[in-house]
Amino acid sequence: MLQFGRFVMVRAMMAMTTLIIVSLVVFTLMELVPGDCAERYLAFKNTQGSGISLEDIEIERQRLGLDRPFLTRWASWIVNAFQGEYGDSCILRVNIAQLLGAKFWLSLGVCLASLALAYAIAIPVGIISAASNNPFLNNGLRLFSYLGLAMPNFLLALMIMLVSTIWFGETLTGLFSKEYRDAPWDWNKFVDLMKHAWLPIFILGWSATAFALQTVRALMSDEIGKLYVTAAAARGVYGRKLLWRYPARHALGPIVNSLGFDLNRIFNELPIVALILTLTEAGALLIEALARSNDQQLAGAIIFLLTASIVTLNFFTDILLAVIDPRVRKSILR
Amino acid sequence: MTDVTTDNTQDQKAKEAYFTASQGQLIWARFKKQRAALIAAVILVALILSGIFAPFLSPYDPTIAGRDKDYTNGAPQLPQFCDSNGCSARPFIHAVKRERSMATNFRWVTTIDEDTRLYMNFFVEGDDYHLFDLIHMDTHLFGVEGGKIHLFGTDEDGQDIFSRTLHAIWTSMKVGSIGVFIAFVLALIIGGVSGYYGGWIDGVIQMITDAVRTVPAIPLFMAVAAFMPPEMTAEARFFYISLILGFIGWPTLARRVRTHLLTERNQEYVLAAQLCGAKPGHVIRRHLLPSFTSYIIVDLVISFPYMVLSETALSFIGLGLKDPVSSLGVMLQKATSADVLLNYQWYFIPVIFFIALVMAFVFVGDGLRDAADPYSEAKK
Repeated sequence: MLQFGRFVMVRAMMAMTTLIIVSLVVFTLMELVPGDCAERYLAFKNTQGSGISLEDIEIERQRLGLDRPFLTRWASWIVNAFQGEYGDSCILRVNIAQLLGAKFWLSLGVCLASLALAYAIAIPVGIISAASNNPFLNNGLRLFSYLGLAMPNFLLALMIMLVSTIWFGETLTGLFSKEYRDAPWDWNKFVDLMKHAWLPIFILGWSATAFALQTVRALMSDEIGKLYVTAAAARGVYGRKLLWRYPARHALGPIVNSLGFDLNRIFNELPIVALILTLTEAGALLIEALARSNDQQLAGAIIFLLTASIVTLNFFTDILLAVIDPRVRKSILR
Repeated sequence: MTDVTTDNTQDQKAKEAYFTASQGQLIWARFKKQRAALIAAVILVALILSGIFAPFLSPYDPTIAGRDKDYTNGAPQLPQFCDSNGCSARPFIHAVKRERSMATNFRWVTTIDEDTRLYMNFFVEGDDYHLFDLIHMDTHLFGVEGGKIHLFGTDEDGQDIFSRTLHAIWTSMKVGSIGVFIAFVLALIIGGVSGYYGGWIDGVIQMITDAVRTVPAIPLFMAVAAFMPPEMTAEARFFYISLILGFIGWPTLARRVRTHLLTERNQEYVLAAQLCGAKPGHVIRRHLLPSFTSYIIVDLVISFPYMVLSETALSFIGLGLKDPVSSLGVMLQKATSADVLLNYQWYFIPVIFFIALVMAFVFVGDGLRDAADPYSEAKK
C-alpha cells in the first residue's frame, strides 16, 4: 500500500511537471502577442475620446505589474493558476474565473460525455468485429474508421446542419432553449440541456469513435491470435466468456492509456464545432478571445485549463491502469 | 518432362527476381496487390494532377477578377445534349437572364432561357494565368460561346466554385507539403538527437515532447494564428500558416524517428558494420537511414491529411488563409448561414472533393504502410 502511495505521488509529481512546462509554453506564447494588456486597455480608452500619452501606458503597466521581469510574472501567473485564479481579461475587464466558471465545466462535461459515448460504442463493437470473420462487418467498420478521419467533426457538423435544415427546417443549434439560457440550474434546465446536448456530444464523439474502433479492433486482433487464448479455449472456455476474460483484459491497458489523447483530439475540435453549432461555452469563448479581440489573458487561461484537464485525465488513467492491470501493479509493488 | 523444366526455370526466375529486387520494387509489388489502395492511388494522382493543372482545367480565374457579376449565387449548370427543342451533338447549356422589376418585387431574379443555347467550346482563350507559376498562358480546357459556364455554380460574389475547388486542391497540396516538410525537418533533428544520444538528453527531450503533445494543438495554434496582423499579404499568411502546421505535426513524427533510431542502433548489422571499421557517418548514411526511409515516407503520407484538415479548420474559422486565396476553409466560411443552408446548397460541392482527397491519402498511406512492412506477408 505504501508503495502504491509512492507510485501515486510520483505520478502526481510528473503531472505537475508537465503542467509547469505547458504553462511556460503557453505563457511565452501569450507574451509574444504584439502589444500588452496596458496598451490594449488604453487603446480602448482612446476610442472613448480621452487622450492618452506614453506615461499613461507606463503607469497602467505598473498598475498591472507588467513591468516586472518575465520569469517573475510567469511564476506569479502559474501560482495563481493552480489556485484557479487567472486575473482579469484584457478586453472584457472582468475576472476570468467568473467569466469561464460554469461554461468551462459545461464544455468539459460535453467533451467527457462524447468520450464516454465513443468508448461505449467502440469497445463492444471493436471486440465483436475482431472476433468475427464477417467481411461485411469488417469492411464496413474499416470504411467508417476512414470516414471518421476524412470527415472531421466540423465538416460533419456542417453536413448535419445542411441535412437538418433541408429536411426538418431546423438548424439544431445552441445548448439551451431561449427561456433557460440565463435561468439558474434546476431539473428542468438539465432536461433542456439534455435535449440539445446530444447533437454536440454525438458530433464531438464521431472522430473519437472511429479512431477508438480502429484501436480496439487492432489490439483485439493481435491478442486473439496469441497462444494463451488458444490454451484457454482448449480448457473449454468459449464464446463471450473467452473473449472478455482473456484477450479483452489484455487489450484494455493500451485503451485506457489512449484516453488522454482522445480527449486531446476532442478538445481540438471543440472550438470549431462550438462555432458552427453556436454553443456559448468555453470553446466558443476561445474563438471569441482569439479571433475577435486578441484577448491573450483569456486565451491563455482556457488553453491552460484544457491542458490541465488532459493531464488530470492522464493521471487518473495511470492510476486506474495500476489498479486493474496486475502486470503494472506488480511492477510498482516490487 | 520438358513442361516441368520450363515450369521450374520460370519458378527459378520468379524467385531470382524476388531475391534480387530492390526495396522499392518489393514495396511496389506488395502495394499492387491491395486493390483498395491501388484505386485510392489512382484517384489521388488524378486529384493531384487536377490541382497542378487547375488554371488550365478551370474555365475562369478563381479570384474576384474572374467573377461573373451577372450570375451571383448561381446554381450549377450541367452541360446537356438534349432539351425540349431537340438534341445536338455538341454539349450546351441554357442561357440565363437576370432581371429586377416590379414583377419580381424588385429583387434580382434569375431565369433560365430555355430557347437560347450556349454551346461548349474546348481549348478556348480566357483569363490569363501562369501554369506552374511560370508559363504564361490563356488557353482553358473548356468554355461556352457568348456566356459563362459554372459547373458547380457560383458563390455570392459570382466566383466560379468549380474553378475555386480545383485551385483549392492545389492550395491544400502546397500547404500540406510545406507543413509536412517543416514537421519532418523538426522531427528528424529533435527525434534524431534524442534517439542518437539516448541517456539523459533523451529523457529531457522526451519529457518536453510529451508535455507539448498534451496541449490541444488546434486551440494553441488558433492562439498563434491570431497574432498575424490583419494587414499581412496573402503570400505571407500562406507561409505563416504552413509554418504553424509544421509545428503541429512534429511531436508525433519525432517520437517515431527516435523510437526507430533507438531500436536500430543496437541491431547486429550496425554492430557488424562498426566492427568492419565503418565510420559513424557511413553507418548512419548507408545502414541506418535506408532501414527506415520507407517508414518515414509512410509517416509523411499519413500525416499529410492532418495538415490539410487543420488548414481547412483554421481557415474556416477565419484564422487561416483568407480571400483571394482559394481554400476549402475559405470557401466554407459563409456556408453556415441559414441563407446558404436553405437556398444555395452547391456551396458544399467542394467538400466531396476534399473528403475524396483525404480518404485517398489515408488509403494510400495505409497501403504503403502494409507494403513497406516486410513482415506483413509473413503474418498473413
